[in-house]
Formats: sequence, C-alpha cells, structure tokens
Amino acid sequence: MSGYIPVSATAIFWENTFFNIASALYILAMFFYLTHLFGRKQLGSFASIVLRIAFLVHSVFLIMRTINLQRVPFVGPYEFGNMFIWATALVYLWTEWRLKDKYFAVGAFLTPLITLYIVYLTVVPRLIPAVRISRLHQQLRPVLQSPWLKIHVSASIFGYAGFTLAFAAAIMWLVKNKAGEQGVLAHTLPQKNILEEYMYRAAGFGFLFQSIMIITGAIWADTSWGSYWRWDPKEMWSLITWFVYAVYLHARFTQGWTGLRTVALVMVGWVAMLFTWVGVAWLLTGIHSFG
Amino acid sequence: MAQETPGLPQEKKEQNIISQLLRFLSSMQLGIILILLLAFISIFATLGEQETAVQKVYRSWWYLGIMAFTALNLLLCTLRRFRPIMHLTFQPQKNKTASAISKLKVKRVLNLQAKDEAAALAKVKETLAQNGFKVSQVTGTEGSTVFAERSAWGYLGSLITHASLLIILLGAMYGALTGFEEKNGGIAGDNFQVKSGGFDVAITAVRMEQEKDPTVRPRVFSDVRITKDGKEIAKGTVSINQPLRFAGNTIYHTSFRYVSDVTITSVQDGEKHEVQLWDHGQVRLDDEGTILHLMQFFPNFTMNADGIPYSKNYLPERPVLAGLLIENGRAVRNVFLQLNKPEVIKTAEGELELLLTGFQHAAIYSITRNLGRPILFSGAVLLIIGLYLSFFLNPRRFWVKYDQENAALFIGGHSPRHKLFLEQELERLESEIMSREGE
Ligand code: HEM
Repeated sequence: MSGYIPVSATAIFWENTFFNIASALYILAMFFYLTHLFGRKQLGSFASIVLRIAFLVHSVFLIMRTINLQRVPFVGPYEFGNMFIWATALVYLWTEWRLKDKYFAVGAFLTPLITLYIVYLTVVPRLIPAVRISRLHQQLRPVLQSPWLKIHVSASIFGYAGFTLAFAAAIMWLVKNKAGEQGVLAHTLPQKNILEEYMYRAAGFGFLFQSIMIITGAIWADTSWGSYWRWDPKEMWSLITWFVYAVYLHARFTQGWTGLRTVALVMVGWVAMLFTWVGVAWLLTGIHSFG
Repeated sequence: MAQETPGLPQEKKEQNIISQLLRFLSSMQLGIILILLLAFISIFATLGEQETAVQKVYRSWWYLGIMAFTALNLLLCTLRRFRPIMHLTFQPQKNKTASAISKLKVKRVLNLQAKDEAAALAKVKETLAQNGFKVSQVTGTEGSTVFAERSAWGYLGSLITHASLLIILLGAMYGALTGFEEKNGGIAGDNFQVKSGGFDVAITAVRMEQEKDPTVRPRVFSDVRITKDGKEIAKGTVSINQPLRFAGNTIYHTSFRYVSDVTITSVQDGEKHEVQLWDHGQVRLDDEGTILHLMQFFPNFTMNADGIPYSKNYLPERPVLAGLLIENGRAVRNVFLQLNKPEVIKTAEGELELLLTGFQHAAIYSITRNLGRPILFSGAVLLIIGLYLSFFLNPRRFWVKYDQENAALFIGGHSPRHKLFLEQELERLESEIMSREGE
C-alpha cells in the first residue's frame, strides 16, 4: 500500500512538457557548447544563453512539480535526479558568471554530463526494465516527513553538483593532454594547471556539501531510525566517495600531486558518487533503497 | 669517540628512532594509505549482505583497529602541526627582506618614476586596503615592509577539520561504550522494564492518525511515562521522527502493530476467556494440539482474484483477523474472524466460539542510550566550520618592500591553495598601483 496524490491530467501534461522542453534545451546547449569548443568561438555566449533558458524552464518544471505534490520534490530517483541536474546547472552557471566568459569550454564538458543524467532518467528505464524511474506523485511516508529531509537532500544535490563539475574538468584535462599544443582544441581548452585548479575548487565545494549531507543524514537517522549510523550500503558508499575525495584533496594539497594522478582520483570519486546514487539503488539493497 | 661517552650515542639513536617512528605515524602518506584501505574494505563489504558485513567487517576488531590506527595517525598529525599552524595564522612573519620576497613563487618588481619611499608605500597600502586586505607596516633592519593579509582564518581550516574528526570519533566511541539498544513495545496500559537503562516505561495511551490518503501508512502516537525506582523521571509523546529524549536515553517509535481483542467462549459451559492476540502469535485451543495460529490483522479486509487477502487501506472499515487452524501440527483450514461475528470451531474438548470484539494499536520502540550525542554534535558543527574555512576562504598574504636604489617595489605573495588566483590578483594589484603612481 502506498499512496499517490491525485493530480489532474492537465497538470501532469504541463509538468511533463516543461521537463521535456528543459531536457531538449539542455541538449541544445550541449550542441552549442561543443560547436564553440570546436572553433565557432562566437557561439560560446549563445550556448550560455541557451543553458540559462534551460535552467529557467527546468526551474519552472520543479515549481510545477512542487505545486502538484504539495511538497518539495526531493524523493525518489526522478525527483532527486532532477534536483541534482538543476543544482549542477546552477553551480556551473554561477562559476561561468564569476569567471566571466573565460571558460565556456567547461560547458562543453559539463552539458554532456547533464545529458547523461537526463538519459538515465528517461532512456535507461526503457532499456533496462529493472531500473524503474517512477514519475508518479507519491505521498511522503511518515518517516520522510522531517525538516531534515530538506536539508539533507539540498546538501547532497550541491555535493553531487560539485563533483560533477570536478569530473568535467578532469575529462577536459585528459582531452587537453591528448590534444597537446596544436589544433583547434589547443586554443579553446584552458591550460592544464588552470583545469587542475578548477577541479580542485569544484571538488572542495562538493566535499563540503557531501560532508553536510553525511552529517545531516546521520542526525536525521538518529531521530527516525534510532541510531545515527546503520552501516547500510547507501551510507557506506557516500562514506567511500568522501574517502576518495579526501585522498584527492590531501594528495594535491600536502603531497603536491598534480597531473594524471589527481585527475584519476577525481574520476574514481565521480564513479563512486554515481554508484552511491544509481548503483546502490538497483544493485545493492538496504533501508535507503527508496532512492 | 663513542667509547668515551658510553650511553650517549645510543640514547641519541633511540631518540632518533622514536622521532622517526612518530614522524611516520603522523605522516600524511600513512593517512592516505589507511583511508584507502578503509575505502577498499568498505567497498567489498557492501557487496555482500548488510547483516553479515556489520557482523564480520564493520564490527570486527581489525576494521575498528584500522579506524583506531587512522585516528591515532590523525591525532599525532594534528598535535605535531598545532603550534606551527597557530603560529602561521596568528603570528605571521611580517617583515621580509627584498631577497626573501623575490624568492616567493608569486612576485613582481614594479619600477616607479618618483623616488619617494613614503609616498610609494602609502599608495601600496591604500590599494591593498581598498582590496579588502588588512594592512600593516613594520620596520626591520632593512627598512620598512608593508604586510597585507586576507582571510587569515582560512589557515586554521585543516586544523579544525582534523580536530573535529577526532571529536566525532571520540563521541562515537564514548557513545558505543556507555550505550545500549533494546526493543520493546505494547498497547495502552502496558508496562515494561528497560533492564540496561534501569528504568520502567508505562504506555498510557496509543492513538492512530490517518493520513489524508488512507493508503499511506498512518502515524501512531503514544504517550509514555518513564519511572525510575517508582519516581517519574520523564513523560511525553512518541511518534515517528519525534522520539522522547531524557538523560541521554531516547525512546524511538519504530513501527506499530495491530493487537486483536478476542473472546473465546466454550459452547458447552459458557466459560469465557478474553485474550489479546498479536499478529503471528498462537493460542492453544485444547490439550490435544489444536492451535489457532494468527496470521495478520486487516483493518479493511478484501481479497484479490487469487484469493490472497489484503487490506484496501488503513481505514478500519472491515476489520478481519486472519488465522490458520492447526491440528496435530497440520494446517487444516483458514479462519477469518470478522468484527462481532462469532465463529465456531470444533476441538477435542468441545466447540469453542471465537469472537473478535475489537482491536488496538501497539507501539513498537527502540530504546537507546547515547551519551556521545553532544560530543558528536559539536564535532559535526566544527567539521562544517573547518571545511568552510578550508574551501571557501582563500587566505593570502603580500609583502611589499621599497628598493631605494632602483626606485622599485618588490611585491611577493603567498597563498596555501590558490596560486593561480594569487597571480591574477597580483596582476590586478600591480595595475592599480601603477595607475595610482600616474596620478
Ligand atoms: C587520516 C589521517 C589524516 C592525516 C594524517 C591528515 C593530514 C593532513 C595534513 C598534514 C594536511 C595539511 C594541513 C596543513 O598544513 O594545514 C591536511 C589537510 C586537510 N585535511 Fe587532512 N589528514 C587526515 C585525514 C583527513 C580527513 C579524513 C579529512 C576529511 C574531512 C581531512 C580533511 C582535511 C582538509 C579539509 C585539509 C585541507 C586541505 C586543503 O586545503 O586542500 N583530513 N590533512
């Protein structure tokens, strides 16, 4: 027995439409960022505008879903995935604004990741029936009706956003490394040391929020399950992710690691993060398996 | 010669070994290895059953041992770095010679037109102050140095983060050593003793609140009174996400159950027994092995096409207690007791009339003690502060010296983390200083 909130067909239609438009715009932004990357420099600011519009439309979708649910859309893979994509776009747009227009190239690596997340929410469930991404409007079970849910989920979407950004910079580093100093990419991609700095900042940002997520999760578990740490797979995997980034931050800061070794650590961290989000829900079992 | 001063070289060597050992034990390399080890073991542990992993790995002496070793590493590292970091943060070396400045990684030499030290340094100070720096000027043997810093608290980030982790581990350990966890529960009017805690719990009322949508699991609230040696020490209402806390103890609502009130009447002599039956419980109906095994209580009973009973929702519209009649160890038939509808069952000792007269809600609790909670909480707050200082503040310092001979300014900067940013900042500062120079 689990309850659904009655939502009119029109409301569902508009909600889905805004999701679809936002997804299409994110993908369009990816296209323009990539075109920019491969030499059509003037398209950079256009790509940025498309991404901003995508973000706004996506915000409208989230507001609509909030209205339809009569609560914040923080529960289950579909809602969490959307919040997480939204936060990733927000953090990226913020860095773009802070760094002015110097690093549009990052967008060419970040938007494909956003597209990947959208594919997970839309295409993957069709290909793999075991992956069920329900869009139904579910009532909150009493255990989830807690103010800690909001703090916990808000922290985690920003943690994941930071790690996604760091991962985008890591891939850029690899591409830059391969491309060398000649060709189109040599001009459009920032220097490797700049990318490493970007990666470090994004990872540090993600690390702070990941820590807040773990702490608030523990506090919440302590008020609802009766203990703050149950060693369940989702908890363990967020801890593992946290360990990997801790190793990266230390290696870079105190051991002066640079280059491929740090890039590899950031990539491993992203895989661990992705597994915490996706893998634990479908491959491992635990009390957190509601997503 | 060694022989002439026996003992001394030996002692020195020992000291060396000890300090080498301490250096190794407090090293970041060891820390990284230990964290990676914990990560790898945890990955393997999550692939199996959670229960097994908890028993065989997370609670094993060796896993906890690695954690303790990591904590020792962190403690030694924190102790070793404590004074240097405090010194670096609060007593920075403000005076630097021109050659020391030119050895810094981020530096510039600005050639000025006018030969006026006071005016040049004044402009530098003004520019730095306008950029949010705390500026001071000190005079050493080689003349004046302008010293400027921003976000110096950021230097403390790692120290606070590490200390907070130690506090969290300490809190967890203290909580685990002094704590307990018991499960218990009951219906209104029940009492039970919490042995490890040395107190008694009386459940004075239990009530259920339906959600707007009756298919959603409702909330159950229970009023409890806690007594110790007959004296009341706490009372309150417990429900999901709203535990009752007192003196380091916590009573959590973990779930609820239905308890059915059933009257068993002998048809022959009218003898009555009133019993309260929990799901999955059993009642012996005679001495010959006739047993009623309770399956489940359904508040709003129905059956699907395959004849499997289920509850439409949580509304008590059609309460039914479902059970199995067992004779000599064999299930012989289903029994469905509807509210106030008697059901007659044949037993070796004659016919019995079973009647469901009502039902109640039982609250199930987890009762724990965790004295480490305040320590854990302060550790958690410190951790967030430490990480904020580490990653959101960008501590940096500049030293500026005037070189009389060449009418030049030596500017050098230091930042523990963001060298690139520092270079950009210095570039900006340079152009601002130069434009002031032209004024
Ligand atoms: C396990 C043993 C550990 C050792 C021996 C260790 C050692 C160190 C050292 C030597 C530094 C440089 C500090 C400085 O000079 O200011 C540092 C930085 C830092 N450590 Fe640790 N650490 C350990 C574990 C951790 C863990 C588990 C965390 C997770 C929160 C952590 C968080 C930090 C942070 C945030 C910094 C600053 C890093 C930066 O600015 O990039 N440390 N650590």
